Amino acid sequence: MALTLTCPVCGKRNGYEFRYGGEEKGPRPEEADLSPQAWCEYVHMNQCVAGIQKEWWCHKDGCGVWFTTHRDTTCNLEVDKPEAQS
Amino acid sequence: MFGKVKPLWGEKPTLKSNYDAVIIGGGLHGLAAAYFLARDHNMRNVAVVEKRYLGFGGSGRNTAIVRANQRTQENVPLYREALDLWPILTKELDYNLMFYNCGNLNLMHSEAAMNAARMNVATAQFHGVESHLIDAKQCKELVPALNISKDITYPIFGAMYHPPGGILRHDAIVWGLAKGAAKYGVDIHQQTEVTGIGVENGKIVSVETDKGRIKTPRVLNAAGGYSAALSYQMLGLKLPISVLTIQAMVTQPLKPILNHVVSSGAYHAYANQTLKGEIATGAHMDAWPNYTTQTTAYYIKHQAEALSEMLPCLRGVKFMRHWGGLADMTPDMAPIMDGNDPIEGYYMDCGWGYFGFKSCAAAGKYMAQFMDSGNCPAMLKPFNLRRYEQHRLMGETAALVNYTPDN
Repeated sequence: MALTLTCPVCGKRNGYEFRYGGEEKGPRPEEADLSPQAWCEYVHMNQCVAGIQKEWWCHKDGCGVWFTTHRDTTCNLEVDKPEAQS
Repeated sequence: MFGKVKPLWGEKPTLKSNYDAVIIGGGLHGLAAAYFLARDHNMRNVAVVEKRYLGFGGSGRNTAIVRANQRTQENVPLYREALDLWPILTKELDYNLMFYNCGNLNLMHSEAAMNAARMNVATAQFHGVESHLIDAKQCKELVPALNISKDITYPIFGAMYHPPGGILRHDAIVWGLAKGAAKYGVDIHQQTEVTGIGVENGKIVSVETDKGRIKTPRVLNAAGGYSAALSYQMLGLKLPISVLTIQAMVTQPLKPILNHVVSSGAYHAYANQTLKGEIATGAHMDAWPNYTTQTTAYYIKHQAEALSEMLPCLRGVKFMRHWGGLADMTPDMAPIMDGNDPIEGYYMDCGWGYFGFKSCAAAGKYMAQFMDSGNCPAMLKPFNLRRYEQHRLMGETAALVNYTPDN
């Protein structure tokens, strides 16, 4: 499926240049007192939204930046400008 | 001839307000569970609720390959049972499932791959499943069209040969199981969308559909590609699943040239000749989750390159059709079959990725046992959802190619 993503550094690029980094799940949980359930929730569990989801991408064949974007999973179109994150 | 055709599963039933079990998803797994519930457990007041039509999803989009040469001890017996069930179901359902046990050939392209195959073969043989390791020359003897020369991208070192595997007609199984289930009194409701699942005091009480409310103590989530989204939306229960579009295609029909299923992890391709003569081949998966089921030119090119090296006689043959379906991938490439945890009466048969076709008969049989007794059969215990938080992921990723959005 065709996919175009907007890299915050390089602009619109072919989706095959990017690596998907998973659904946005908030910050990594603190390791102190971390339960197996909470870790599993962070690592494995997904909402699998059929619609717009916030997700991570890495421009692996380009500048290498990690960023989040909003994409509609039913049509593979970005719906927002990506928010640059650290 | 052009009159009104009555479907094999009878006239459209009216939606009752009470069922003993509601099965979400009119695909192979849902229909198989319904069939075995009615046949073996005398639970006949069962509804199969399908949003679109029977076999719309993965059941009608797969490439119909069956085999039982998986990597792990837990998986092989389940798939073997499914393999044994095809001839039995063909008779029982009185419907020709067109089982052609032509055998599978998993090509290996390095010494390391041969060693991995050696372990796979040992697992299969331990479970009494016929599987051998053969060298490149024997591959050529089995499939004369195969290119075993050294000057291709991934020269063939040998293969894992699994004679009992083969292909079936996938639509026939959908229709056959629907016919069988309906014969025992199961109500099949197509074009009926589940809009909610009612839970009270940690127990399933009802299913809301766009055609009305159904009271029921049991629900089976067999919604295939949509099972994870459904689970989260309706019950707030997240599953370790990523939904990816997977593609397949067929060539124009040819005279018989390929009498085994041939697959290659390195070329990322498999091919078999259907009984119609078309070469059915796959399988490219998008590297990011999506529900589009759309196809790509990128993949046509990939497949043409792979096939013209592996099977050079196919050069110049045209692709006729190309389609996509959804694969609900788990991190360990093994399914989630669980129930009564954390919600009593809520059963799951999902996360099948692209193995749902070859397993449907056995999965349906054991899920029916589970739903009838409320106790998980020993066969399904390793597939529980809690294995992920216990870090007891299965080793299926060691077999063939690992498809997840994470690699």
